[in-house]
Amino acid sequence: MELSCLGIESTAHTFGISIVSENGEILSDVRDVYHSTPGKGIHPREAADHHSEVAAKVLLAAFNNARTAPDELRGVSIALGPGLGPCLRVGATVARAMSSYLNVPLVPVNHAIGHIEIGALMTGAKDPLVVLVSGGHTAIAAFSGGRWRIFGETEDITIGNLFDMFAREIDLPSPAGPEIEKLAQKASKFISLPYVVKGNDVSYSGLLTASLAKLKSGGCLEDVCYSMQEVSCSMLAEVVERSLAYTGKRELLLTGGVAANKVLQSKLEDVAQLHDATAYTVKPPFTGDNGAQIAWTGVLALRAGVVVQVAKSNVKPKWRLEDVDIPWRSGSTKTNIQRC
Amino acid sequence: MSTFRGEAVQPKLIYKGAEAEIYLQDWFNEPAIRKTRIAKPYRVEQLDEVIRRTRTSHEALMMHEVKRLGVPVPAIFHINPSTATIVMEYVKAPTLKEELNLLPKSTKLAKCENLGIKLGQMHAGGIVHGDITLSNVLCDSDSLCIIDFGLSTYSEEDEDKGVDLLLFNRVLKSSYYDAYESLFKAFMTGYSSSSGKSSKVMLKKMHQIERRGRYFDRA
Repeated sequence: MELSCLGIESTAHTFGISIVSENGEILSDVRDVYHSTPGKGIHPREAADHHSEVAAKVLLAAFNNARTAPDELRGVSIALGPGLGPCLRVGATVARAMSSYLNVPLVPVNHAIGHIEIGALMTGAKDPLVVLVSGGHTAIAAFSGGRWRIFGETEDITIGNLFDMFAREIDLPSPAGPEIEKLAQKASKFISLPYVVKGNDVSYSGLLTASLAKLKSGGCLEDVCYSMQEVSCSMLAEVVERSLAYTGKRELLLTGGVAANKVLQSKLEDVAQLHDATAYTVKPPFTGDNGAQIAWTGVLALRAGVVVQVAKSNVKPKWRLEDVDIPWRSGSTKTNIQRC
Repeated sequence: MSTFRGEAVQPKLIYKGAEAEIYLQDWFNEPAIRKTRIAKPYRVEQLDEVIRRTRTSHEALMMHEVKRLGVPVPAIFHINPSTATIVMEYVKAPTLKEELNLLPKSTKLAKCENLGIKLGQMHAGGIVHGDITLSNVLCDSDSLCIIDFGLSTYSEEDEDKGVDLLLFNRVLKSSYYDAYESLFKAFMTGYSSSSGKSSKVMLKKMHQIERRGRYFDRA
């Protein structure tokens, strides 16, 4: 029988469960997303309450849609981090219960690695420079010596934070990227805003403050949205170009929630073209958080023997992607496999 | 054949960086480097023009300032901000990035310590580099030559100096993960000897900046 893995995602606003077969076929992908009050961000406890309420329903739908019986599973993978503690604990509780009850291995998955692996699966990218952009990440990584190494990242807030925190001020709900993108299309002019590149890093906190200040001093909302989006995406494109030139990679993979932004996509395609690299972009619905990214990474990890005992499967709210050993990718070393 | 401002002799593209194209050309019968910041299709013109023009004139100014601090940089021959072009001395030397893979361990440590001394001198003189990577350091036989000052700034703040250290730390960590601790330690030894700053204080600052990023333990 084919090895399939059930993956659970609950790091932030999305509670998702998916079943993926060994060859990467997504048999089911069910999600229920917590929506914050407009003008507010994610409230961790409220999001966790939401996840607890929908967990059983989502789990059942994941099995039904996949036409898979629980005894056909070979493993249960869980995003143990990074993310919001209360949210992570809901998913982890379900995963531990499933693993114990079905007597199959529990596989620890780093949420960010999940974004990378689902991106590689969906696009066919082999050895890309990864641009991971979401509410939780703005990082540029390349694989080397058994781990994803960070070549550049944000020194403060992420690009997703930038959009969401700006949106809160105008009472839009998070995630607000798509709404800002729409408003930007109606802009008439570019307003000068702080463009902060530090080596291969970016910093968005000053851009957020300046954008809000422009808005409060009577700037046109559409123009501010357009200019903020232009500046933030251009800054990222520049540091991606620096990392691409530095690492000499031939592929670029854009993944994570903000990968759905068309302006960012087009800028990174330009960057790839300038350096004769191929640009790959994850397409919705696999840009935003989903169970499939955890299930598929679970398949890969399980194959390489990465498992965790239930008693030791603590959630890791601050689990950085550069700290995860990846024994399933070539160029990796089998030694020192991460067992949490 | 040499002509006025070296623009008549066929220049040869020797390096295409992320930001600029580097040409080797003739400058009054001497080889020279022409660095031109090229327009980026991914930036709106208004933004792109300002970035290229200001970084070009700023880079030339900073190279001059840094040279006065006794840090080796290429000599500047000519600047044209409107075409985002600088013509400078041709330093015929490999980058530290190329050299680090070839050198024996003790020499690697010595090079990193030497780079630390150079950066420390700049910081002591109130200048931060802003993009201190291994590609931006040329390895002459016995000295190091620092290049690419487009992101440098005047600063007496530990905050800005700490960003320089953090950027270099990240470069070593991502490219030389096995040896990075000893290389960075050697770098900091050199740095504290010339910057007038204690290694302990600056490392604390660097970690403080790092922790503002995502998913670092704030403890």
